[in-house]
Amino acid sequence: MSLRIAGMGWVTPLGRGIQAVWERLLAGEEASAQLISDSLQEQKYPFFPVPSSVLKDLPPHPRLRRASPISRFAAAAGLDALKGARSITLIEGRELDLGKIDRGRVALIFAVSNGGVVYTKRFYHDVAVSGAQSASPLLFPETVFNAPASHLAAILGITGATYTVVGDGAVGILAMLMAEDLMMNAGIDFSLVVGAEEADWLLCDAYRKWRLLKMQPPIELFRRPPRGMILSEGAGAILLARDGPIAVDKIHAGANFSRRNEASERIVRILSDLGDERAKILVTSANGTFVDLAEETAVLREMSDATIYSLKPALGESVGASAIWQVIVAAQSLRTKRLPPLLHVDPGNIGKLSPASGKETPAGAAIVLSCGLNQQVAGLRLSI
Amino acid sequence: MKEARVVVVAAGVVSPLGFGLVETLEALRAGRDCVGGVTRFDVEQCRCKTAGQIADERLFDHRPKGRKGKRLHRASQMMICALGEALAQDSRFEPDLTVIGTTSGGMSFGQNYYRALHRHDELRHAPGWIANYPPQKPVIDAQDAFGISAPCQVIANACASGTNAIGHAFECVRSGKYERVLAGGYDALSELVFVGFDSLQAATPERCRPFDRNRTGMVLGEGAAILALENLEHAQARGARIWAEITGYGISTDNFHLTQPDPSGTGPRQAMERAVASAGVRAEAIDYINAHGTATPFNDAAEGKAIAELFGHVPISSTKGMMGHSLGAAGAIEAIFCLLALEHQFLPPNINFRGGDEAIDLNIIANASRPAKIDIVLSNSFGFGGTNASIVIQKFAA
Repeated sequence: MSLRIAGMGWVTPLGRGIQAVWERLLAGEEASAQLISDSLQEQKYPFFPVPSSVLKDLPPHPRLRRASPISRFAAAAGLDALKGARSITLIEGRELDLGKIDRGRVALIFAVSNGGVVYTKRFYHDVAVSGAQSASPLLFPETVFNAPASHLAAILGITGATYTVVGDGAVGILAMLMAEDLMMNAGIDFSLVVGAEEADWLLCDAYRKWRLLKMQPPIELFRRPPRGMILSEGAGAILLARDGPIAVDKIHAGANFSRRNEASERIVRILSDLGDERAKILVTSANGTFVDLAEETAVLREMSDATIYSLKPALGESVGASAIWQVIVAAQSLRTKRLPPLLHVDPGNIGKLSPASGKETPAGAAIVLSCGLNQQVAGLRLSI
Repeated sequence: MKEARVVVVAAGVVSPLGFGLVETLEALRAGRDCVGGVTRFDVEQCRCKTAGQIADERLFDHRPKGRKGKRLHRASQMMICALGEALAQDSRFEPDLTVIGTTSGGMSFGQNYYRALHRHDELRHAPGWIANYPPQKPVIDAQDAFGISAPCQVIANACASGTNAIGHAFECVRSGKYERVLAGGYDALSELVFVGFDSLQAATPERCRPFDRNRTGMVLGEGAAILALENLEHAQARGARIWAEITGYGISTDNFHLTQPDPSGTGPRQAMERAVASAGVRAEAIDYINAHGTATPFNDAAEGKAIAELFGHVPISSTKGMMGHSLGAAGAIEAIFCLLALEHQFLPPNINFRGGDEAIDLNIIANASRPAKIDIVLSNSFGFGGTNASIVIQKFAA
């Protein structure tokens, strides 16, 4: 079965839109970190927020009136992915006419890790401080994992399959896998895969307590010992069809690792399965944590000549959105034959790996590898 | 590609009705009311004060020994129980993929963490709470306990999650891409979710009376269930025991409201129509429907309307009166009820029923189970966000 990328949307701390964000990444830019605070504790944490200006032109919709940031990011990315597909020839030479798509034949697969944490915290705060009688019936529905997907389905008018898939950073790949499985059904013409996340002080504190968060930028890759990552937020959307310029060649559903030192062995299996002589680009999930060493060890074993890139020093760790962002980078690298420069990597730390330098990087295929922070790994290969 | 037939070769369950298929069957046949006063957290300020709960002491008996076992969330312990029972029936079942539904993961650990922060308490346990909070963790923990490392897709489609998980797993095997998939659902009772449904006034201070004309709302429950699905040819080739066949799945999304169903019943109707079409059977062939039946006025009215329009007078029951609504686990647990009903040829009861809506003519299996010849059953799950899912399960016939 042919599975192809027909449209993409991107909402990031470096702005919105595939071309706009891509150009800034190619120029070696990185997002600005801000400090986030909360009345719970005095400690402040750095994070990479999505600038509010990028959502100014989001069309009004009743579902977005009270929705939390994650739903707005997702709506913007999803609408952009559909808009981006307008100019692409899709089915048997016919142009895609968005108005004529049967919305019952479109599947929406939503990838998320932490979900609507802003409203969940507000809801539970009221309960913890003032008791159950203070619980808000307006906030509670927005705490449910599939609330953003429901809003997006309502905005796009999708009446067919809608799934919210939950996991760690690898969840975006698992959502792509679900889309592939759904597209085996002749009753579905398109799958819109959206990964989204919103940042909050509570998440920063939790990842800090988990010894994974760095207290000031930048995110430095491949350091020993690892210094940690910084959270970000935003969304990525990929419209999958049976025709389009970039092919999703193969998705490896991955596996789970019980201990962090097992991650590398799982990654080796994925790279071995996805390996292809055309695949000269590897978009990794290295983020300044234990993930870096796990990926480095596996890459040196299986794909030592690949040019590697991670967007996390530039855009931060967006967890549920991160793997979709990586897929966008891989697709853009194949389309433009370029990869942005890998930021904040000390040549003394990177050893024998070949980091992206910002120069031309032609390749017929690219591999996306995602090793999550909570036991899941997965990967996929794109080609042009 | 020729579509494969998909069979259930093993199943495991833990719920307020009991641990395992034997206890569950006994309680289901007896129409036992397993809903009681909430003991896990303070509900003094809530309207609703009851739920279907699983006793911790019995869960502890099943958890792995040592420190790791003690750190596991109750949801992980439930999943270990359910998966353990399924694998005890078929120890050679090695899944290519695991698809599990849930709504809240290890939510109570998140609550512990937030309360500790709020009170400026000792946060020594915080890393453990945080690491064991995510929804994929109980699935991975359960697989770990039995040496399985299949990739996990965790579906969080609110109350439809469990049926969505089984339905998606079914389609994965039917397409021929996968030979064996573990499917199911889990959810453990948590204060945040309990208080949330209470705030919406969806939870009742009275008994849970699905489809009753004087129904006043739902009660929550908890549990986990696992079904091992396999391509029929492979199952037969290795001599696996076949419990039943899954033949159809329907999913729909209605965009009416985030928490309320479209009163017309369009969403549920589409899901049921698609499931029946997917199974290649006519609506008249359905012998029993395990309804979503939460006992909220809106849900039961919309679902009842759709059932009456599509299926006429088919026997239906909601089993949530017995154990409460276990959210992401509900669809999986109710699929197991359907397996038991097919295996033992009886209709599970809709307890606490006094009389139906005059506007909707339904054939409710009121208050007591009864023997019946049934070959094809339908199970429904509908959730927040307008997600609707239905599956068709049939008695296996070679």
